[in-house]
Amino acid sequence: MSEIEYVVNGTRRAVRAGDDDLLLDVLREQVGSTSAREGCGVGACGACTVLVGGHSVSSCLARAVRYDGAEIQTADGLPPDHPIVAAFVQTGAMQCGYCIPGFVLMADELLRENPRPTKEQIVAHLEGNICRCGTYAEIIAAVELAAERMAATR
Amino acid sequence: MTELLDKGSAPAESPAEAAMPFSVGRREPRRDGEAKVRGTLSYVADLPVPAAAAVGITRSTRPHARIVGIDASAALAVAGVEAVVTGADLHAALGDRMYTGPAFNDQPPLAVDKVRYVGEPVAAVVALDVATARAAADLVVVDYAELEPVHDVQAAIDGVAYVHDELRPSAVFGDLKHLAGISGTNVNYEYNLVDGDVDKAMAGAATTAQGDFWAPPTHHVPIELPCTNAWIEGETLVLLTTTQTPSYCRQAVADMLDLPLNRVRVRTGPLGGSFGAKMYDRLEPLAAALAWTLRRAVRIRATREEAFVLTSRHGVQVISSMGADADGNIVASRADVRYETGAFADVGPRITAKSGMVAAGPYRVHDVHVRSRCIYTNKPSAGPFRGFGVPQVTWSHESLVDELARSHGEDPAAFRRRNLLREGDIAPVGTPMHSADFVGCLDAVTAAIGWDRPLERPDGRYARGRGVAVGVKAVLTPTISNAVLQLNQDGSATLLISTVDMGQGSDTIMPQIVAEVLGLPADAVRVVNADTDVTPYDTITAGSRSTYHTGNAVRLVAEKMRDRLLELAAAQTSSGRNRLSLVPGGVQNGRTGEITPISDVLHRHFGARGTTLTEQANFGTAWEPYDKATGRSEKVTEHWFAGAVAVQLLVDRATGRLTIEHLASAGDVGRAINPTMVEQQLSGGAIMGLGHAVFDEMVFDQGQLVNGTLLDYQLPSVRDMPHEITSVIVESPHRTGPFGAKGVGETTLIPVAPAVANAVRDAVGVRITRLPLTPERVLDAMTEAGVDL
Repeated sequence: MSEIEYVVNGTRRAVRAGDDDLLLDVLREQVGSTSAREGCGVGACGACTVLVGGHSVSSCLARAVRYDGAEIQTADGLPPDHPIVAAFVQTGAMQCGYCIPGFVLMADELLRENPRPTKEQIVAHLEGNICRCGTYAEIIAAVELAAERMAATR
Repeated sequence: MTELLDKGSAPAESPAEAAMPFSVGRREPRRDGEAKVRGTLSYVADLPVPAAAAVGITRSTRPHARIVGIDASAALAVAGVEAVVTGADLHAALGDRMYTGPAFNDQPPLAVDKVRYVGEPVAAVVALDVATARAAADLVVVDYAELEPVHDVQAAIDGVAYVHDELRPSAVFGDLKHLAGISGTNVNYEYNLVDGDVDKAMAGAATTAQGDFWAPPTHHVPIELPCTNAWIEGETLVLLTTTQTPSYCRQAVADMLDLPLNRVRVRTGPLGGSFGAKMYDRLEPLAAALAWTLRRAVRIRATREEAFVLTSRHGVQVISSMGADADGNIVASRADVRYETGAFADVGPRITAKSGMVAAGPYRVHDVHVRSRCIYTNKPSAGPFRGFGVPQVTWSHESLVDELARSHGEDPAAFRRRNLLREGDIAPVGTPMHSADFVGCLDAVTAAIGWDRPLERPDGRYARGRGVAVGVKAVLTPTISNAVLQLNQDGSATLLISTVDMGQGSDTIMPQIVAEVLGLPADAVRVVNADTDVTPYDTITAGSRSTYHTGNAVRLVAEKMRDRLLELAAAQTSSGRNRLSLVPGGVQNGRTGEITPISDVLHRHFGARGTTLTEQANFGTAWEPYDKATGRSEKVTEHWFAGAVAVQLLVDRATGRLTIEHLASAGDVGRAINPTMVEQQLSGGAIMGLGHAVFDEMVFDQGQLVNGTLLDYQLPSVRDMPHEITSVIVESPHRTGPFGAKGVGETTLIPVAPAVANAVRDAVGVRITRLPLTPERVLDAMTEAGVDL
């Protein structure tokens, strides 16, 4: 067991992790961030996505100890009035909702790198995430709306 | 490439909105929208539970074998392992009560004596943490004596071996009693639909079409994994579990443990998708048996690999034919339907009957014979899946009808339009049609993709085609719903129902029904998560039944509450009861126009703040059981679902790959309580159906699932979306639906696969009868047919 520290959504959190422990489990069980979720355990569905230093990571594949000192963003750390959150809510981009936080963080990563993505660029960035309810059209509309609003306030 | 969801011809508000301006028909946003987006909504695995042991499961490595011995010593020697439990241990504690299942008591939580599929639980390792439990489960050594495996329905029918020694019907479905004790068969149920003389009609037909169709087993893959917690609280066993069927689970566990219903409590949370995967007996019997026999809180979390073998959609073979007369009227329909139900019947016998009764299609055809069988094999158990077996028979009849139309020399949409059932027509199963606008759905989807516009058919690498298909399904009948409504003194309301919101939006639309009746804002009504200690009995959240059944119970309870409130208000004033009405804001006096807030009426009545006024209502439906010999009934169902899908696509002649240019779906929902939720069900069902057309397939090799991970099992991603998606709401109000409404959860999944295959037929001239339409399969069919690549 190692004593390590993350900065989760801006707050320092001391956690304990063994060599085989997963970032996903430590975030859920010790930090209390349950917006990251297991969907496949093999990095193929995106439900466990978190941002580390702004970059998306499949936390179900990530060893917890590797991220000592890292800045970690989870979807529950985004404020309700965050433009991406607001855009997803407004376009109704959710059904069961289980996968949506992963899409939100992928959208956050995309819009930081590319504030005005084309539809094809949005598709390319989100294609590793699975929504079994089939809410893709609404999700794309949400990302476009968020990009538009963020550009307008920039 | 994906286009923004095109609302098609769906109006911004439901057409009847002007008449019912308040809440029903409005696009209310999802109640839990922001919590879903930020991930703060708690699903079952996120909810607090007492400190629990983790469970690792040792699974069978053989499809069919006697268990000779189990050596758990190495597992028990691992630090942190508390116990290893086997099927024999459970049988010693519970006897034959350990066998559960909705149709047959054939499903042990842990295998006893023999295993029936690769992946069947054989031993449960209970340990302090999940990593230890799973690692120790691998150390349990099981000694098997192999039995002849039954790998497919033909081997099962031929009786190469028997998966179960005898049939053991459960007490759930009384009509299966006569099957008790039957041995020497793998067929656990057979349904026959017989009307007229199909042989004679087929012989006299001017054109016929026939085929041998196959829809493979598939998996639901809700992204939320199954999770069941069980613990003892006082004298009560509590389950907190991912289930669509809390009331069923309570009964099943009470039966297994021989407890009265009031000592079993089943709680659920919102589900992260389910589609039929999380219902009846999944992890609950094992969790309950372990918690009860070990007197220990346990938590079972399935991995994705384990979830794949917990249940599946039936693989189905349909050998079928249809005939039409010289005028193009369908005159004969025949189908031999074989549902591969795997190791346990689950609800397969119900699927076999419910799908068999619509296997002739939604057409005016009088000479019909359907033989539909539910067949055990040594594979993971198949159970309910969005569509309840109907997509597999629709795959057959909508492919055949297309061929009939072509043989007759008529446009496939026009041919269907002439033959489709209309209001008042008697379906082949003997029940009249009402509120099932097939023609309206067909017209909506063909209009959406521009069916009547000339199709540009390019030469060269890409061939373009269009296809259409129609689907029919009967709602589960008979079923029961209850609703309890608490009107709080402050004017807010708490709705207690056992409907589970798994993405369909019941927590949003049920409040709209209450709000409509009581004149409350929809967000003043909150739904309580299903909890059998708190929320009343409800058959199941499945089969698209909740909007109609639970919706009616909710409408009734709201109406009782309205009447009660008006009585209280009348008693508080000199006004007569008939002068008062509920309007937004409170009780209005028709004479003075004065509005008294609900909070004032209740405060005056109780003389205290914080009080609650409670009402309850029940709604159930009845049916006329089908005749054993003919399979027919004058009322086999409470109502029908009607849907249609049209597709325009490109076939890559070089690779066989399909590109969907436009996918249009329509469903007759009676009345849309919330058009946004309805459209998401229409488009979501169609997209899942598209997966079944081109991707979804569980691949088995000698009984072993070989693609049971999300690296191997392909699901539609955002990359696979059609260039254009159109969802059209068709409303032909149901005479007894709540505000005319019916369900919509399955309607558009049903016709997608044949619509895609019909478009491929249109594009390159080949008829493919096996799903999914993978590039290899399309290329093979083109090569075989000698189509120029």
